[in-house]
Amino acid sequence: MSRTFVVARKEIRDHARDLRSLVSSAMMALMGPGVVLLVSLSDRAPGQDGARVLLGMLSVFALVSAFAGAIDIAMDSTAGERERRSLLPLLLNPIPRSDVIVGKWIAVTAFALVALALNSLGVVAVLAWAAPFLLVTRAQQIVVWVVLGLVPLAALGAAVNLFVAVLCRTTKEAHTALRFLAFLPMLVGMFLVFFPSWTGRAWFLLPIVGQQTLIAVREPSAPVVQGAILALVTLVASVLPLVAASRVLNRDDILSA
Amino acid sequence: MIEVRQLRKRFGSVPAVSDVSFTAPNGGITGILGENGAGKTTTLALICGLLRADEGSIQVGPGESTPIERRRRVGALLDHKGLYDRLTARENIAYFGRLHGIPPPSLQTRVQNVVSQLGLERIAERRVAGFSQGERMKVALGRAIVHAPGHVLLDEPTNGLDIPSVHALREILRRMRDQGACILFSSHVLDEVRALCDNVVIISHGRVVACGNTADICRQAHCPTLDDAFLALTGREVIPS
Repeated sequence: MSRTFVVARKEIRDHARDLRSLVSSAMMALMGPGVVLLVSLSDRAPGQDGARVLLGMLSVFALVSAFAGAIDIAMDSTAGERERRSLLPLLLNPIPRSDVIVGKWIAVTAFALVALALNSLGVVAVLAWAAPFLLVTRAQQIVVWVVLGLVPLAALGAAVNLFVAVLCRTTKEAHTALRFLAFLPMLVGMFLVFFPSWTGRAWFLLPIVGQQTLIAVREPSAPVVQGAILALVTLVASVLPLVAASRVLNRDDILSA
Repeated sequence: MIEVRQLRKRFGSVPAVSDVSFTAPNGGITGILGENGAGKTTTLALICGLLRADEGSIQVGPGESTPIERRRRVGALLDHKGLYDRLTARENIAYFGRLHGIPPPSLQTRVQNVVSQLGLERIAERRVAGFSQGERMKVALGRAIVHAPGHVLLDEPTNGLDIPSVHALREILRRMRDQGACILFSSHVLDEVRALCDNVVIISHGRVVACGNTADICRQAHCPTLDDAFLALTGREVIPS
């Protein structure tokens, strides 16, 4: 087995035993659908326009879930390693530090995808309850949005979160930084829900904006080509924070407590 | 054998190691002795390829001596606090075995050998959270030697350990030495160095000020005991007893 996957496997096994963190992540992933369900139950969003508002709200929570659904493992596997002083022994192994980062990224992405899957199930459940016609008329678009939009965004979010967390010396420091970072998809998503005219084609290549555009546009066919290009751009963009995180891990001061 | 020549390392404007040269032979325990901040830990980190030296050469065993190659040949215990609490002792050790590229068929045997060698059978399947300092040290040492390295580096390994754990560690190190390993460990505890080391390297302010066996050191410093020699060589006043 490649040593990158050895790191990934260890991180997944280690974090899967952190029950409190798992429950907290699951609650975060289901928070959006839960809130939207409450709004739909309050009967303040009836009709087609109301359904679109519900979908807009769900899309923002889904963005956050994909981008920041695995911040606990991102923190624990980087800043946490520094804090409990296990980073030094780890780096003593004959494995390039870039492989260490990629291994951790695979693990963080895996947890982000689980959070996203949970969130997507919640989205489908809420739509089935509150706006079943949307599930029928926009099913293909929702699939493209999740598969080509949100899945690559989970990979990008994992890379960005890892980079920020590896700069931090303690999990507390990382927690503060990553919570701020989680506002980024929320702010962008909310802005585009309230100002949909900004979801024009010129922006669709920009991660987060592009993902929101995929679900906001109303076209007769699902935007598959647009989604595929966005997926590619988002995945390529993930490389930058990973390279930056590897460089941080190569600095001498990374070993200081 | 570990051979270090004219090693220099600065952190920004602060010189951590200014001129360190020594040789640690196979089948021997070499102690690096120095005050806090003398440059012992930095020297060990440079030898095992964790930090890059600004100047100087490091040779660990025969042949190529790149940092990654040195990490392959060395088993280093620079901190015994850094274990993964949610993994069992056996899983902690096996993880490092996998990172060293030990293939699965022989990994189980290697891990079992280390568990037996360090007397970890009773706690091998327990998660590390809640382990005593001595148990943590043994697991960390097991992790460091799971790939059966010919060179073992330890940084103040007895810090925070109780007397039985210190004795157990000394016994393990003597056994490894008798099997031909080159053992290099740093300490600022003179008794420990006296009890364990065949050779001593004294570092002060990032420089080697003396090296040899205990008798050589005392002769170089013109002092009757290692304690007096250490104080004299590191520029401290020797208080007559």
